[in-house]
Amino acid sequence: MIKVINASCLFRHTSGEEVRALDDVSLAIEVSEFVCLLGRSGHGKSTLLRSVAGLNPLTSGRIEVDGAVVRGPGVERGMVFQEDTVFPWMTVQKNIEFGLRAQNRAPHERKREAARWLEAVGLARFGESWPKELSGGMRKRVAIAAAFAGGAPILLMDEPFGALDYVTRRDLQSLLIDLWQRTRRTIVFVTHDVEEALVLAERVIVMRRGRVADDIPVPLARPRDEDERASRTGVEISKRILHHLALETPVAAPALT
Amino acid sequence: MTTFLRRNWISAIVIVALIVGWEVAGHLAPKSPLRESPIVPPWEFVFGRAIIGLSDYWKFPFWAPVPELGGEQTLLGAGLAVGYHSLLTLYRLVLGLLVGAVGGVALGLAVSRSPLARALLGPSLHLVRTCPLLAMTPLFQFWLGGTNLAAILFVAYGVGVIYLVGTINAVANVPVKFIESALTMGATKSMVYRAVVLPAILPELFSSIFLTLGLAWSAVIGAEYIGVDSGIGRMIIWSEYFSNTGRIAAITILIIVYAFASYAVCRRVQRRMLRWHPQADRSLAAI
Repeated sequence: MIKVINASCLFRHTSGEEVRALDDVSLAIEVSEFVCLLGRSGHGKSTLLRSVAGLNPLTSGRIEVDGAVVRGPGVERGMVFQEDTVFPWMTVQKNIEFGLRAQNRAPHERKREAARWLEAVGLARFGESWPKELSGGMRKRVAIAAAFAGGAPILLMDEPFGALDYVTRRDLQSLLIDLWQRTRRTIVFVTHDVEEALVLAERVIVMRRGRVADDIPVPLARPRDEDERASRTGVEISKRILHHLALETPVAAPALT
Repeated sequence: MTTFLRRNWISAIVIVALIVGWEVAGHLAPKSPLRESPIVPPWEFVFGRAIIGLSDYWKFPFWAPVPELGGEQTLLGAGLAVGYHSLLTLYRLVLGLLVGAVGGVALGLAVSRSPLARALLGPSLHLVRTCPLLAMTPLFQFWLGGTNLAAILFVAYGVGVIYLVGTINAVANVPVKFIESALTMGATKSMVYRAVVLPAILPELFSSIFLTLGLAWSAVIGAEYIGVDSGIGRMIIWSEYFSNTGRIAAITILIIVYAFASYAVCRRVQRRMLRWHPQADRSLAAI
């Protein structure tokens, strides 16, 4: 279980201006939940996720994972980044083994685990390939397999599909849901895409100006196809989210002459 | 070979023109009063008299006659002399390169990793970098004498500085995303250095390797010019004593051959070690 307790995070811009990326955020995420952190860019969702990962120190407040305060990255929290983080100098197999190597697992066990996860993400034939030989979508599969193979019960995903084309993104969303249903790991998934949140999440936390603006359960049936998302509940949820994302007060555009 | 010629016929013509031009210059240049010192030694002289003359530098009283003791100049003696001194020079070069590379990279990693090392080495590094290498030769010789160790350390110092600076720059260029990703997978700081930073800087380190190869040749020949009393650099000095221009040309050609061979070896190693690199095929073809 993840507990965020009065977390605040201040950044100072080079201009000297202070930015409150997280403003007294408190929330709890249960084991096996699939939570989407949703918001516009610059409203604190990535900062919150990176803080949970231990990559971003808080200015005040704390984050607890199963009762222990987060002070840095840990093997119980895996992460998938938006950027391509697959190590280009390792074969696909070695990439997936990396987490297990960090935990000093025996070579035969690493091999077996890697083979299992390669199979799970549909890359069974590509273990010996170099990352440069794979497409962007396939490399994302490698990153996901590496995160799962490390064994972390909590997986943090920072807009992992943001840079992919629409069809590839839909494929990977289905894959991720499939893996989540089979493993029941806790997944915290950052996105700015309302549709993506509706497809994936059991619960959507809307972030706005560094605060939690809303916390919405998504009781839609799976698979979350077009019809399901267009159901009354689906439309209501997406309206509620969009309401939070919209501008507070419409600004009158200055006349351009 | 034929496809090479078809694709690079302009370069081929330039090389042939250079070779022919040298020969023409050799015959047009004013006649030198000394038989062994033509002003521009023509090729038949370089690969004839001059090569056999190199047997003067065979000084061991076995396997071949020793000209210094009144023995005959022989091709065998020339081969033995060239082989012996080449081995000595290569030994100094390779060992110097290894010591310099390992030392420079290790120090560079230390500087990148610890603020204390950075504070200690940072400012003095710029000073050392700008210090002209060949000007330091006599100093090294003064400290260590005309020994193998002096030549090896001199080469190591010369190339080490480049590895040090190259490593610091390369480490600074390692994308943070790889390091963060490794950390979230549970890697310790030392594993991050071993499994992420080192391989990530390898492509940039190879440019240091190519840069230092040329420098190492200059440094080892320089050390032999001034200090150490053996090696192919020293053979040039011996040739210079009697203005043996042909021998100087022959040894220079030998050094060019060695330098080319060492580049070829490094390129093979690079191709093998960087086969994962996205631009591997492109950048390697260009070299």
